[in-house]
Amino acid sequence: MAYSITENCIGCTSCANLCPADAISGEKKKHHTIDSVYCIECGTCGRICPKNAVADPFGQVVKSEKRKYWKKPEFNHKKCSGCGICVDACPVGCIAFGQPDPKSKTAYPELINLNGCLSCGFCAGDCPVSAIVMAQPSDSQSEAA
Amino acid sequence: MTRKGYMGKILMVDLSKGTIEEEVLPDSVYEKYLGGMGLGAYVLYNRIPKGADPLGPDNMLGFLPGLLTGTGSLFTGRWMVVGKSPLTGTWGDANCGGTFSPEIKRCGYDGIFVKGISPKPVYLYIDDRVKELRDAADVWGMDAVETEEYLEKNAKKTGKKPKVACIGPAGEKVSLISGISTNKGRMAARSGLGAVMGSKRLKAVVLSGNKRIEAYNKEEMKKISQVCDFWSRIQPPFVTGPMTAFVGALMRILPTVLTQDGLLYKIMLKKWGTVAMNQMSPEMGDSPIKNWKGSSKDWGFMKSYSSNPDVFTKCETVKFHCYSCPVGCGGICTMEGKYTHTHKPEYETVLSLGGLCMNDDVDAIFYLNEVLNRAGMDTISAGHAVAFAIECFEEGVITKNDTDGLELTWGNSDAIVKLIEKMVKREGFGHVLADGVKQAVVRIGRNSETYAVHAGGQEPAMHDSRNDPGFALHYSVEATPGRHTLGSHLYYEMYQLWKVVKGIPKLPPMYLKGSKYKNSEKQAKIGAANSRYMTLVNATGACLFGSFIGARRFRLFDWMNAATGWNLTPNQYMDLAGDIHTLKQAFNVKHGIEPMELKISDRALGRPVQSEGANKGRTIEIEEMMAHYWEEFGWDQATGKPGREAMDRITVGA
Repeated sequence: MAYSITENCIGCTSCANLCPADAISGEKKKHHTIDSVYCIECGTCGRICPKNAVADPFGQVVKSEKRKYWKKPEFNHKKCSGCGICVDACPVGCIAFGQPDPKSKTAYPELINLNGCLSCGFCAGDCPVSAIVMAQPSDSQSEAA
Repeated sequence: MTRKGYMGKILMVDLSKGTIEEEVLPDSVYEKYLGGMGLGAYVLYNRIPKGADPLGPDNMLGFLPGLLTGTGSLFTGRWMVVGKSPLTGTWGDANCGGTFSPEIKRCGYDGIFVKGISPKPVYLYIDDRVKELRDAADVWGMDAVETEEYLEKNAKKTGKKPKVACIGPAGEKVSLISGISTNKGRMAARSGLGAVMGSKRLKAVVLSGNKRIEAYNKEEMKKISQVCDFWSRIQPPFVTGPMTAFVGALMRILPTVLTQDGLLYKIMLKKWGTVAMNQMSPEMGDSPIKNWKGSSKDWGFMKSYSSNPDVFTKCETVKFHCYSCPVGCGGICTMEGKYTHTHKPEYETVLSLGGLCMNDDVDAIFYLNEVLNRAGMDTISAGHAVAFAIECFEEGVITKNDTDGLELTWGNSDAIVKLIEKMVKREGFGHVLADGVKQAVVRIGRNSETYAVHAGGQEPAMHDSRNDPGFALHYSVEATPGRHTLGSHLYYEMYQLWKVVKGIPKLPPMYLKGSKYKNSEKQAKIGAANSRYMTLVNATGACLFGSFIGARRFRLFDWMNAATGWNLTPNQYMDLAGDIHTLKQAFNVKHGIEPMELKISDRALGRPVQSEGANKGRTIEIEEMMAHYWEEFGWDQATGKPGREAMDRITVGA
């Protein structure tokens, strides 16, 4: 199962530049293709494509969205146990443990690179205790980023 | 990629030829051998030729995540290294946590197997695109922490940081008690598998994959994990560190024992980590003292006080959680001197460098913890080697002429520090001890065997087999001998397996302490259930401490079904585990091991009996227990070799 690029592709390279698995190839201004062996189904290609030229594994066209509106993970540290599943799940290393809580000495995960986050939602999907929700960052966060 | 928890492929690396090849495995292999240690046993039994030299090109080293690693289950982030042990000549495995395990699957593999010997030092690098052997000249000679820092920075320049498993100088120098390190101080320490890696001139395995790890029913996985998470959060206030000694003393004095609910141990682990046992265990008779010759009387409250659990949490700056662990029994501690911080020493380290050597200098223990972690040497075996040498010195078997002038007396921490610094460098008398006590006996001679405590060459852990007959049994009967992580009576109490598995002994809520030293047939049945369950734990990448929470809270069988879609009963899984266990025993028989010769040294069995302390007067009737245990698996009662029926159940010839 993998994403695929439709005939609407104009070869702008946006998807290939962002793909965290280096699964997309193609020359500039020519049709790009996704190698299903390497695709990790993060959907970044679809979100960034200005021509809505990407289909998900079920053949549905993915609607692109301005990157500043992409949802980012929000962490509920009351539910979180610090198990690190989300840190490992992030394909671009944008989640890391922050400073430990002074009392419990437990370090909780944080989004350390707002700009780098691809909004794949793997962190939220993999969290066994549903301590992460994907939400649109506030305007101030987006601007700061 | 499958949607059954496993990736469906293994990677075979031949260092002699410089080749790296993928192999697709059929579902039937996973359905029989699960993953992790089970998959390792399947590959190694079939592919290591009979009589292969553990340090030669034919030996294979496997790095394996578990079947459940990365599937949304909790406490399942551990990985196994497997190979023929150069320390014992038997099946060898070592287990480690940290964050390396899921990365093996993220690179697309359920196991990475390495054979051959490289003509020059190399490291194996794998990411989504690249699989290659790279020159390790820059890192050869570096310690394990330096190696990891260097490779994290230089092996991959962009994206997320790679994960590294490596050897230190001890592995490079083929020390038979060396291990494999990850996360700058977590160790797959046992069985001497660091020496195998060193003999192959493989400095490190560096992984940076991004593949998704899928499960058959992810929502069900989450539901089961949430039950486990609920129980792991229960954390009422508990006694102070030194008060644990009184809990231990109470357990020593009372004639009856409450069947222990492992939730209590979880509470201690979360508060302190394994150092919670530093005072409790010696008091109750669980810790071997003074090279197993001493007793709780020699290591009383005032001696153990310097390493009371609070000492460790006071200098702990942050908890260390292995991947997918909600408890976080590890930690990073600050210290003064040459090194500024170290992974919180484990109970095993504290007692093997402490009570076993009569050393109450906790600063020296912190320092040696980091020295040994950086060298990549097993702290348990190193402590045993030192304690053995001290007793040899005290008994006049060796003198200062042998020890490079070191005054090796009980508790002489300066001498202990200097000796271990020599061991990790293989310098002078350090060379004599750098391969463990069995080799040290060969090098020293002069009847030093009397003072060597080991099982088939493997130094046992800091759990006294005279206190818990389960430890005596598992030290002696397992295919990888001398190991404390495979079973004990106490573990069985905490697993509460009888609540989910049919036909195994059920323990009452309270029992007379003396009863567990009798009825070897029942103890063998308990031992067999322990071995089967731990086989599943090690095949799934699960954590022993997680399993202590109890089988109804840590729902391993349900997780396996939800991850794979197999829908097997707990008893069916236990039967599969029995077959994997047989395969490991068959591995030993294939390589000429006589199982009875793996029996632990007499001293650890109460032969002669101790005249004082918590284990006074106790002797473990090990031979009878071993025979009953072997019978449980369909192995010959006298020799421990698997019978025809047991062998017919395992698949050979892959």
